Amino acid sequence: MPDGGKLLDATNVSKKFGEFRAVAGADLAVNAGDIIGLIGPNGAGTSTFFNCLAGETVPSGGRIVFDGKDLTRASPEAHARAGIGRTFQVPTTFADMSVIHNVMVGAFLRHPHRNDARDKARAVLELTGLRPDQPARSLGTPGRKRLEIARALATEPRLLLLDESLAGLTPSELQEAIALVRQIHQSGVTIVIVEHIMEVIMTLTRHVLVFNQGHVIASGTPDSVVREPAVIEAYLGRSHRRPPPDPSPANGGG
Amino acid sequence: MTKILSPRLVIVVLAAALLVYPLVLSGAFYRDIGVTFLLAAISASAWNIVGGYAGQVSVGHSMFFGLGAYTPLLFYTQWGWPPMAAIPVAIALAIGLSIVIGMPTFRLTGHYFSMATIAVAELIRIFTGTWDFVGAAIGLQGPAIARGWWDLTFRSELPYYYLFLVVLAFLLAVTSFIERRRFGFYLRAIKSSERAARSLGVPVRRTKMQALALSAAFTSVAGSLYVIKTGFIDPDSGFGILISVQMVIIAALGGAGTLFGPLVGALILIPLQSATNTWFGGGGSGLTYILYGGIIVLIARFEPGGLFDLWNRVAPGLRGALRKRRHA
Repeated sequence: MPDGGKLLDATNVSKKFGEFRAVAGADLAVNAGDIIGLIGPNGAGTSTFFNCLAGETVPSGGRIVFDGKDLTRASPEAHARAGIGRTFQVPTTFADMSVIHNVMVGAFLRHPHRNDARDKARAVLELTGLRPDQPARSLGTPGRKRLEIARALATEPRLLLLDESLAGLTPSELQEAIALVRQIHQSGVTIVIVEHIMEVIMTLTRHVLVFNQGHVIASGTPDSVVREPAVIEAYLGRSHRRPPPDPSPANGGG
Repeated sequence: MTKILSPRLVIVVLAAALLVYPLVLSGAFYRDIGVTFLLAAISASAWNIVGGYAGQVSVGHSMFFGLGAYTPLLFYTQWGWPPMAAIPVAIALAIGLSIVIGMPTFRLTGHYFSMATIAVAELIRIFTGTWDFVGAAIGLQGPAIARGWWDLTFRSELPYYYLFLVVLAFLLAVTSFIERRRFGFYLRAIKSSERAARSLGVPVRRTKMQALALSAAFTSVAGSLYVIKTGFIDPDSGFGILISVQMVIIAALGGAGTLFGPLVGALILIPLQSATNTWFGGGGSGLTYILYGGIIVLIARFEPGGLFDLWNRVAPGLRGALRKRRHA
């Protein structure tokens, strides 16, 4: 692998909508086997940056290289073919199709024949735990999020981008979902996850990028970034109800 | 899928009924309805590939129908070709047109796509009406008396009926084939969410183009079959908007995006249409619009999934009721 195990290298990525700079020069390097969190208050640019990585938004500037290939301006389809899978913040399952047919659409990417695609879909569903013949429209939000993960996994991604896949779950569902993401990670898939739930970020990730107003204001281990004053002011201080795990610098704010 | 009646049994019964229909009901009126029904079922099933499965609701499919209708008669009047010999030419032209039309219009989605297809079909209709080479507003005539069997000009409806039935069976076989393959899965995924389909590596534009080309090819065959039987075409009977609307309504009535939906829709609409035309005579031709409008309202209000969806919901209950009665 080029760049010494570096799977994804996003440098100086920016995105402007008219005069508004949603992302202003963000960098992200992901090594194979990483599990990285992206966090930031609403409107911080996290989602836009995430969509740039998935190919849904074409950056105004910067460069995104995945596995040695320049994907900066490539289509979402090309991202999927290159090995980047994703989920959506609002689940967009194929409602008229059954669970297994949803997953087969993903599996067809690497297995053009129906029987192979079905075998692949079954294997993925065994891991993610959904009934194959259930109609997708009958699933609740946790089921849909799970189905999206299964569908993306069926494309056999090397990098999985999870967009708030664990939001809106009950505490017990959350624990199951965390276990699932861990399992996927252990199976060798590199993961980048956007999440607002600190518990998820703290327990799952080893490295976190914190966005605010289009900039990356902090990056490091989850424990270290929550101690950074800029982070506490921009994000945790306002929207995080629970105090950070290490409360010593929390009274700061400058 | 509900198994109140085994699907295979339904197909066998339906096929048998279609095979013997013109022999049992041999009156000219019934045979005419039969032929009209088959043609409508072919057109709507062809539309169904792109409009139903892929969810790209074209309301301009008359452009392909008209092309398929005009080409054989143009080759006949200009160069004396037997009409059916020009069918491959018509198919090629329809595929060409589908690519030219699909490139810009597939940049649009939903209602915008539908409106763009209406506009293109109307432009073609108006243009055809002013173009002398294709008969302008008067249209084109086919061979009045057959020069040989190859002109496919028969007095009886019977040969047309079975020719159309073969084409319909072939089209449904092709549809059933793609339904179960990757292409069919991709079409349904695109219908549901293009965004999600893209994220899974589905080449959305290319898949939609292929669906439109296939649909256009079969729609043009429907047009060719129509003129081979009627021996006459003019701008309204080839490119008129009612032709497009009829395809949409029939498919939606039976169940768009299902294999037999268009066939079921045609089975209901065509006899209904013939009946209203007979009851109210030629003076009631505006009634077709009213009938179509009424059906659109009913489908949109009560059964957006068409009769197929209704059946799927009602059938389990029916089955339960039947079982109860048997046990009582």
